[in-house]
Amino acid sequence: MATKPKIAFFDFTSCEGCQLTVIDLLQTHLGLLDLVEIVQFREAMSERGEDYQIAFIEGSCTRKSDEARLRRIREQAAVVVALGACAHLGGVNALKNYWPIENVQTYVYGKNGKDAYESYPARPISAVIKVDAVIPGCPIDRYEFLRIVQLLLQGRRLRLPDYPLCVECKLKENACLNTLGKPCLGPITRAGCDAICPTYGDGCEGCRGWAPEANFAYMREILRGHGLSDADIDARFTMFNHFQFQHMGEPAPVTTSLGPDKTAPLPTSAFAAPKED
Amino acid sequence: MSLYILSKERLPQFVKALQGKFRVVGPVETETGYAFDDITDPAQLQMDYTTTILPPKKYFLPQREVLFSYHNEKENGGPQRLEMRPVYQDVQPTVIFGVHTCDMSGIMLYDKVFSEGFRDEHYMERREQIYIIGIECLHPCDEASFCKDMGTLTAPPIYDLHMTDAGDHYFVDTGTEKGERLLLDNAYVKMAEKEDIQRLGQVLSSKWPRFRMRLKMSRDQTPSLLTLGYQAKLWQQLGERCLACASCTNVCPTCFCFDVRDENDITMQGGERVRVWDSCQLYEFALVAGEHNFRESKASRVRHRLMRKGKYIKQVHGLSGCTGCGRCERACLVNITIPGTLNALHEEMQLEPGI
Repeated sequence: MATKPKIAFFDFTSCEGCQLTVIDLLQTHLGLLDLVEIVQFREAMSERGEDYQIAFIEGSCTRKSDEARLRRIREQAAVVVALGACAHLGGVNALKNYWPIENVQTYVYGKNGKDAYESYPARPISAVIKVDAVIPGCPIDRYEFLRIVQLLLQGRRLRLPDYPLCVECKLKENACLNTLGKPCLGPITRAGCDAICPTYGDGCEGCRGWAPEANFAYMREILRGHGLSDADIDARFTMFNHFQFQHMGEPAPVTTSLGPDKTAPLPTSAFAAPKED
Repeated sequence: MSLYILSKERLPQFVKALQGKFRVVGPVETETGYAFDDITDPAQLQMDYTTTILPPKKYFLPQREVLFSYHNEKENGGPQRLEMRPVYQDVQPTVIFGVHTCDMSGIMLYDKVFSEGFRDEHYMERREQIYIIGIECLHPCDEASFCKDMGTLTAPPIYDLHMTDAGDHYFVDTGTEKGERLLLDNAYVKMAEKEDIQRLGQVLSSKWPRFRMRLKMSRDQTPSLLTLGYQAKLWQQLGERCLACASCTNVCPTCFCFDVRDENDITMQGGERVRVWDSCQLYEFALVAGEHNFRESKASRVRHRLMRKGKYIKQVHGLSGCTGCGRCERACLVNITIPGTLNALHEEMQLEPGI
């Protein structure tokens, strides 16, 4: 290959775990660097090249000032790839959208929080800029990342599995958690992770977003069968996909008023700012 | 062919004797039930088991199978050419223990599908090295079984050996010469005598009342029922319920549809062409050029599956597309079942009882 395509990684509101997954992938698949040249990757290198063709963006847009930065990346990159659940769906960050943003700022940063730190409801990056490809998951699946990079380089059609996780569980001959009484969102979640959570006994939480034909009504019936309340079911449906349910443009499959009582005090968390008297 | 007696105490020795020469697989206990798996210790083998999530079809058509590898070869200054090398995956002498009669019916269909018309070399290479040791079903696996309706309670003529549990020993019927050799070379057995054969007859005839019938019609009626019911309202109702998760087809012993993909290696100069299980229950299955989908609705896909199971496969291959094993029913989270569907269709079409 005469010139290698230049790629760059960017992070917005996220844990950067997807970028760590890429770094971890490089430990076993160093040959990736024969295919592409990484010019910017804050997690892994000091250089910051601004000349790139493919931009991988991790994290959701949660501040007004994120928008300008996203647009700059979009202007430069020929291809923008949303990397992971936060960039793809808004992810767990969008859970804060349940509450008025001032309450969240005060809760997280203390009583002067809203003056000190900028914040607004979390959104996937596709709400701000055009996204050409998505690598779903929390975190991403490293092999899917590799596959998507290869398809991009070949100029082939990018496609994600269009079916639910159950397919992968069955092929691995996993016992179905839903039949064992453990709630699992596998039947409505897009496959592609090789059913990693159910394989280790944890029900799917939907981090890869919904399968195109997700049957929410019957998924709800299955979860009710586990004795879950509608509020519990809504909480599971919206853990990674709150933004999707806010903006589905059709009757939301949730039955309750979506989320916790907004007038009640925020839950206590080890990560919350210390009480100020 | 011939009938032999294998005492239960001798079964582990038989397995051990095979292990040096064969890959030995059979039903083993898992955390939640049973699965076909490699037998490393003869004690793992559970001849008296209920059912497994996947049928033994995975040894005949693996979930992911490499068909050939390819590599871009470029000699100095010369033209670029693609080198291709066929791959025959999992081709090794294999003995499968404990195959229920329903699953043998599934394998019999597979053998027809992959050998007649277009002969699938990858399948046949593997198939020729597999020995099937069946086990007679003396009890239904559970409530989901409807093998009696589908006529699969008797071993079809594809086994190399077929065992029947008679308390302290097994009757072993030899279905093929190579099966008989396998038995005589590796196990301590004695020929059955006249009273043994009578005893086997008792064991076999006494099992039938333990199995119930679930269909309101005979299996011979299902093709015409499905033809009449093609436009039934039932399909719409089932389509609404269906999760389109393909669990029913993945666990089915007669489903054989696959997809073929190329997987490039990291150099992008080579890779493998693989085939993987596919399913008519998935949206992309019937998606063709121009983004047209000829089975777009879930209702049409559920109907298609039932048509395959109860009509089309029978018409094309002369064998039932359903073995009554009940796996799809156990796997379905929204309770779409083959007996339930056929009975509901029978009711909707207001047909006279067929039996």
